[in-house]
Amino acid sequence: MRNSSCREFMCLSVDRNQHSGRQAAGSPGQSMLSEPMSNLAMAYGSSLATQGKEMMDKNLDRFIPISKLKYYFAVDTLYVGKKLGLLVFPYMHENWEVSYQQDTPVAPRFDVNAPDLYIPAMGFITYVLVAGLALGTQNRFTPELLGVHASSALVWLIMEVLAVLLSLYLVTVSTDLTTIDLLAFAGYKYVGMIVGLVAGLMFGRPAYYLSLLWCCAAIFVFMTRTLRLKLLSEAAAEGKLVRVARNQLRMYLTMCIAAAQPVFMYWFTYHLIR
Amino acid sequence: MSGFDKFNTDFYQSSYSVDDQNQAGYGYNNENQYNKQYSQYDYSQQMGYPAPGMMQPQQPYTGQIFQPTQTYTPSSSQSMYSSSFDDEPPLLEELGINFDHIWQKTLTVLHPLKVADGSIMNETDLAGPMVFCLAFGATLLLAGKIQFGYVYGISAIGCLGMYCLLNLMSMTGVSFGCVASVLGYCLLPMIVLSSFGVLFSLQGLMGIILTAAIIGWCSLSASKIFISALAMDGQQLLVAYPCALLYGVFALISVF
Repeated sequence: MRNSSCREFMCLSVDRNQHSGRQAAGSPGQSMLSEPMSNLAMAYGSSLATQGKEMMDKNLDRFIPISKLKYYFAVDTLYVGKKLGLLVFPYMHENWEVSYQQDTPVAPRFDVNAPDLYIPAMGFITYVLVAGLALGTQNRFTPELLGVHASSALVWLIMEVLAVLLSLYLVTVSTDLTTIDLLAFAGYKYVGMIVGLVAGLMFGRPAYYLSLLWCCAAIFVFMTRTLRLKLLSEAAAEGKLVRVARNQLRMYLTMCIAAAQPVFMYWFTYHLIR
Repeated sequence: MSGFDKFNTDFYQSSYSVDDQNQAGYGYNNENQYNKQYSQYDYSQQMGYPAPGMMQPQQPYTGQIFQPTQTYTPSSSQSMYSSSFDDEPPLLEELGINFDHIWQKTLTVLHPLKVADGSIMNETDLAGPMVFCLAFGATLLLAGKIQFGYVYGISAIGCLGMYCLLNLMSMTGVSFGCVASVLGYCLLPMIVLSSFGVLFSLQGLMGIILTAAIIGWCSLSASKIFISALAMDGQQLLVAYPCALLYGVFALISVF
């Protein structure tokens, strides 16, 4: 990289000297010196910046697959509205299967059952802000507490995803659930938490308990129905009894994952409502 | 380059083959990466993707070797000017401050319901947003809150967050300068709110209604400009929501 930048420097200096040489007649001595130098410096700086950006993008792409992430953000307003409705009231929805298009799942925009990362990300940020608001109304607010809430919620989310991954590995389930899918499903609980918190802030403790209860039940049903299709074998998901012991274990696993959600929801919100 | 293959297998098989990328080897590797990603991300959106000007490896390279491209340094056109005193460009033009464009963008922000023109955000102009940030800090100072640090910190984090989100949500990417510029311009109504805060307290019912209206105004303008500049369809409310969160934090500073 150093050789190429030296070469650029030389090329540019030759170029600029030619230009300024032609126009040197009649210009003050100062501008003849400063104009090529400043252009040189500017061009060198911007080429350095381009190189740095290139290197960063290459390295970033190795750790975070940007193209896969983009799939989870291919959402539109209609999808988000329907998904939020599903998260709060999943009882009437009948078809929980994700539709596929030539072996790849369809983008969330076109299928309400596909997981996305927009809702979890916005939910997380909104949760942190609403927690700050709740603390503020009780005069317990400091910016450090906000950071504490944000980081602890994030850490517990990551630990939950890791625990689910570990249990999936132990139970030897072959499924097409990726890590990002699990992150998305774990992030859906923030919606219920926010609903509970807002109800509690506006109408007091009984409203908080009622709405949290409703949202916990809803997220339990949502997770069970979604994960059942992914974790259990196809036949069992349709209701037939296939290889009882193995599927029982998977059923228990699904139940455990779904039951962990209400626990987290209560744990992260009860200390914010007084 | 071999790392691209593993992205390819998980995903929509595009007809864009790896071999096409091996031309124009000098310094254009980053653009090939972007093209690969965009061609994979093609969920039968009817409009396809408008390739930005500098990301087309098929075009013959007409500039000079190792010279930065026009779009990267917006003021590089100034460097083509001659060095004689009479032909020097005026100072404001050389600095890239164009008052007419600033005024146009301000008017776009002030009319949140009028449809915006997508091309006004092509040049990233940070002079206007800087002025608005300083004005916001000044009105806060008039109300007795010395919180320049919070204003800058929150705007930096907010711009970074919006930059990441918009790059993930849109088909064409967006530069950080563009995001910062749009968010800075749409801070203008917040200055109105904080100047009201100087005159009377914003913690009553009137204050809450005013605050909510101003947050809505700011986020609608910002999302309108982003939508028209990035050609995103059906996502205006989705872009408006994070903008509303960001301006909500600014409003919190003004009110409390």
